[in-house]
Amino acid sequence: MKASVFAEETSLTLVCVTEAAPTTYSLEAAASLAGIHPEMLRHYCRLGLFGESPVGPETELIFDDDALCKVRRFESYRRNHGMNRKTLRLIFSLFRDIEILQTELRFLRA
Amino acid sequence: MPVEFKDYYVTLGVARGASDDEIKKAFRKLARKYHPDVAKDKKLGEEKFKEINEAHEVLSDPIKRKQYDELGANWKEGAAYQQPSGQQARRNGTSHHGQADEFHFGGTGFSDFFEQMFGGRGASGFSPQGNGARSEPFGQRGGDIEGDILVTLDEVMKGAVRDISLQSSDPQTGQSKTYQFKVRIPAGVREGQRIRVPGKGGEGSGQAVSGDLYLRVRLAAHPDFRVRGADLYYDLDVAPWEGVLGTTVTVPTLKGQVNLRVPPGTNNAQQLRIRGHGLPKGKNEGNGDIYVVVDIQLPKTINDEERALWEQLAHASSFKPRSES
Repeated sequence: MKASVFAEETSLTLVCVTEAAPTTYSLEAAASLAGIHPEMLRHYCRLGLFGESPVGPETELIFDDDALCKVRRFESYRRNHGMNRKTLRLIFSLFRDIEILQTELRFLRA
Repeated sequence: MPVEFKDYYVTLGVARGASDDEIKKAFRKLARKYHPDVAKDKKLGEEKFKEINEAHEVLSDPIKRKQYDELGANWKEGAAYQQPSGQQARRNGTSHHGQADEFHFGGTGFSDFFEQMFGGRGASGFSPQGNGARSEPFGQRGGDIEGDILVTLDEVMKGAVRDISLQSSDPQTGQSKTYQFKVRIPAGVREGQRIRVPGKGGEGSGQAVSGDLYLRVRLAAHPDFRVRGADLYYDLDVAPWEGVLGTTVTVPTLKGQVNLRVPPGTNNAQQLRIRGHGLPKGKNEGNGDIYVVVDIQLPKTINDEERALWEQLAHASSFKPRSES
């Protein structure tokens, strides 16, 4: 979006930049963006969706864009394709392994 | 949607049967010539650098190369590529009426040809509130879209703002809309990291919000460095006597050249660290390091004088590389 403001001599151009969203979110913010209840998100953490990390009631959980993307995929597969959580956990564990291997391959091939 | 074929072999100037090593060498040579930091015409250099990177991305990956070669056999110069029917849904996001919209990206650093042939691996479009799911009171949230974005190391160092265009086509009506927007690439992004662009995914139905666009970062290959996290790896060719006696060499970094002392007795594959000259780790967390990996090169041919000196060394040296147990 561009808009010329004021007279020709003092024109000012405004450019709308779509900001990359903040890179980290609290449990509540991430759950809201993913369209699920915070307790459900905490449950996913306990299932190991984001890897092995301590998840207790007092643990402060922080999520990034990758995690958010993962939750939204998780929910999509669960709701649209009828996958149960055990299957999804396996799928995401495989996704994670593949991404690690792909990154290493790209490093070795560069 | 017809897309122009890209001949990656021509882009890199290699034969179709070129070995991995030949492809790597051709890429490095061209990448040094057209790297945006050194090219005289910066804009042309940037375009060429992206083309070279895309060609390298495909030809250096055996699976992608095989896929490309199989399709390439059916190509003639200037022919237009029609997406195979099995791949039609690769870049789709689910729209509110259950039909899949097609999305085409621009400004990501990858050509339309690459996008359609190799893009959208994994789940490229997903909608948590799709079929059978709970609806929002005034409609359904749009689906998310996922795409790749090519980011140079210079952009990782400084951050950047990129112009992205996203064209969505509704296969039912044939109507297409193009959205243009700018996306900020934060300094310190990592390979594989996703950048979320809120509200740039599939349109929601009724009054529901649009989905999000997730751009997965693909770091452009660099002629000198390999990347692991925030650390850079530089392969340094060293003569045998330099490894034994030590030397001082000039090593490139992303901020300029530095002198590096190779200590006496440096072994092959040994890593020498240049602290703090790697990629940014994030906000106010400093930079990673450069690891200089020593690669001792042996002369392939030697003259009579050199042979005599090596033989003299062999007799005089007490060095025993194999244990005598």
